[in-house]
Amino acid sequence: MNNIKEKLKALPPVSWMLLLIIAVFSLASPNYLSLSNFRNILIQATPLMIVAFAQTCIVLTQGTDLSLGAQVSFATVMIVYLAKKGVPLFAGMIVAVLLTVLIGSVNGIIVAKGHILPFIATYGMQNIVNSVSLLLTSGSSIYYASNVYRFAAESTFLFIPVMVWIAALVFVMVWVVLRKTKFGTNIVGLGGNREALSLAGISPARNLIKTYAFAGFIAGIAGVVTLCRVESGQPTVASGWEFQAVAATLLGGTSLREGKGGVTGTIFGVLLITIVKNGLNIVGVRSVYQNAIIGSIVLVAILIDAVIKIRSKE
Amino acid sequence: MGKTILTAQNITKVFPGMKALDNVDFDLQAGEVHILVGENGAGKSTLAKVILGAYKQDEGDVFFEGERLTLSGTKDALAKGIVAVYQEFTLVPYLNVAQNIFLNREHKTKLGFIDHKKMEEEAKALLKSLNCEYINVKSPVKKLSVAEQQMVEIAKALSYRPRVIIFDEPTSALSDREAESLFSQILKLKKEGIGIVYVSHRMEEFPKIGDRITVLRDGKKIATIGINDCTNEELVNMMVGRDVSQVYVRTQNDHSGEALRTENLSDYSGKVKNASIVVNKGEIVGIAGLVGAGRTELAQLIYGINPIKSGKVYVNGNEVEVKSPVNAKKHGIGLVSEDRKKQGLALGESIALNTVSVSLKKIFPRFFMNKKKIYETAKQNVEQLRIATTSIHKPCKFLSGGNQQKVVLAKWLNFDPQILIFDEPTRGIDVGAKMEIYKLMDQLAAMGKAIIMISSELPEVIGMSDRIYVMHEGKIVDECKRGEFTTEQIGSKMLGIGVGGTKNE
Repeated sequence: MNNIKEKLKALPPVSWMLLLIIAVFSLASPNYLSLSNFRNILIQATPLMIVAFAQTCIVLTQGTDLSLGAQVSFATVMIVYLAKKGVPLFAGMIVAVLLTVLIGSVNGIIVAKGHILPFIATYGMQNIVNSVSLLLTSGSSIYYASNVYRFAAESTFLFIPVMVWIAALVFVMVWVVLRKTKFGTNIVGLGGNREALSLAGISPARNLIKTYAFAGFIAGIAGVVTLCRVESGQPTVASGWEFQAVAATLLGGTSLREGKGGVTGTIFGVLLITIVKNGLNIVGVRSVYQNAIIGSIVLVAILIDAVIKIRSKE
Repeated sequence: MGKTILTAQNITKVFPGMKALDNVDFDLQAGEVHILVGENGAGKSTLAKVILGAYKQDEGDVFFEGERLTLSGTKDALAKGIVAVYQEFTLVPYLNVAQNIFLNREHKTKLGFIDHKKMEEEAKALLKSLNCEYINVKSPVKKLSVAEQQMVEIAKALSYRPRVIIFDEPTSALSDREAESLFSQILKLKKEGIGIVYVSHRMEEFPKIGDRITVLRDGKKIATIGINDCTNEELVNMMVGRDVSQVYVRTQNDHSGEALRTENLSDYSGKVKNASIVVNKGEIVGIAGLVGAGRTELAQLIYGINPIKSGKVYVNGNEVEVKSPVNAKKHGIGLVSEDRKKQGLALGESIALNTVSVSLKKIFPRFFMNKKKIYETAKQNVEQLRIATTSIHKPCKFLSGGNQQKVVLAKWLNFDPQILIFDEPTRGIDVGAKMEIYKLMDQLAAMGKAIIMISSELPEVIGMSDRIYVMHEGKIVDECKRGEFTTEQIGSKMLGIGVGGTKNE
């Protein structure tokens, strides 16, 4: 019994907020509490979920990667662009993911070796990558017909869409890396105490570069998943996701200081953002108000967290 | 006692503006606890860091088991079995105890993943050997108390199976019980033939564990003696003794009326406990004590940096509330902080801008600034304080420590506070600049300013102060007037000798 209490306490405050919001929407709309809607929410949440896992790794190192959204868009564009040139879809996917790993590595090198603030370095990268995507597509969406998209987006395994399974796999991968590998230990150390890493003979710079490359790898996967959902290469499809991913990460209890947190909380953060959006649509709130409402929720959640922290200090 | 395992010969290490180590010899035998003592800044930590490979010496050699050591970082030292338990913790807050102990030496399962179970078992065994089995090895170290973190740090050092361990003030965060179990652990390590370098201020600990003592002062080795071959008084003498009559010149002046008084000041962190002091106009009041005695924290309470938990502050006899530095400035209080690089200066900005930075409102009562006026002020300061620079537009980061400190002083002179607190005003600067700063303090006092001087250098406190308060573990433990104190007396009060019963309640 005590054990359960402990576990409940360990849940980030955002999970309670999640329940509250679901309750509010179910009262506001009779259509809300249905299995199909929840399936919908999961599918809607998937691409952002994957990006947020990548962002969580970066936030753990006290950074933010503002190029993640651009990397996702770029991956969708690259795959379609290559397919139109005759490259098989799967080969194109691998190439796209390799390229996002490369982009991530460059981010990491600039941050680690150039001692540039992460948000500045990655903001520069965001613009560069966006330009490349726009050049490849002449500024509009590009198409390449295939059944692969539908398979990933619509077929299910054990009643759960394949896309959601992919997100789950990415989650397991990141969780295992953070908890069960040396690399993951070093990610937590990068945010917590770089001096301790150096003293133990670990190179902070090398691990920082690896972390950004890892985030690029995950963003590449998010790009593949996004392509399957939108069925086209869109140069701006994921613009702004990097910020939503930061918000979700912080909502999930990962802190920009001390390497505190992890990917489990991020799931709740992403669900919160997605559920609010979905609910506002169902209830019929005009889209001009939606952003303001989501922004307020993010601020309130983070403020609550900050207040709890200040209280516990005193 | 066994053979010599580590020898350092003629070690010299120069930092910009000061010689941290000057031709120092040091040796360590297997199965020995060699205590390193000296004032703050005497070169103890620098010597330890040279042995660990964290610093590269400019001259001299270190030999380990007969071989000349060429370390390119602490990693090499670890590989050789030379480890350190640092004063500042080197733990990652959100990794658990076991993960911290085995950082970069994680046990792996057959699949290549981290073997938490094995690491946790070994961590448990290590902690048990330190009588700390109550520490949960699965807990993130962030959740542990400072003392527990210190024990984890020690367990981590032991896990390297070291030949030489350097302890840098390991008991400063421990309770008596924990300190005792640390000592018994050190005695055990000694029996196993490990050489131990023990850096500490706490003289009462020395006879419990030490074999030999080496005293450093101003980067020079003063003596190496057997633990039973000297008294505490002799040790203090060696640590602080030097001719103080030349450097410190004080003019006699009246102390007319009270400028600042605190009544039972305490802070939230428990570092200042019921501190009551009085500072009169025209008086220099020294606050002596070890690093961590609460001196800086007391200054920060008076200057409004940290909130006051209880107690009162009076300026010119009127009770005031200092809620913030802005507030303190309004009451005419200034603070020359101990860390001029972080808190005293905008390092990347010019001398000129720094000199006016606290008194902008005073110099420019209207909204806009006037460059000409800034430059005039700065030029005056540079001349008056003899700041060695080619231009007032030079960024402060290019100045030497002494000249940087003069810029900080210039900043406050322009503001013209009635009460000025100097926190370690001469740290890391050469003797010439020190003397000029002393002279300036004397002048300020003669002008009727009330001055508080916090310093770890006893001769300086004794040489400059009209009155001295001694702080020990957050409390004012003694007060004495000029002429009534001797170096030895204050030295032993600082170390808590004769204070009684205040250690780590």
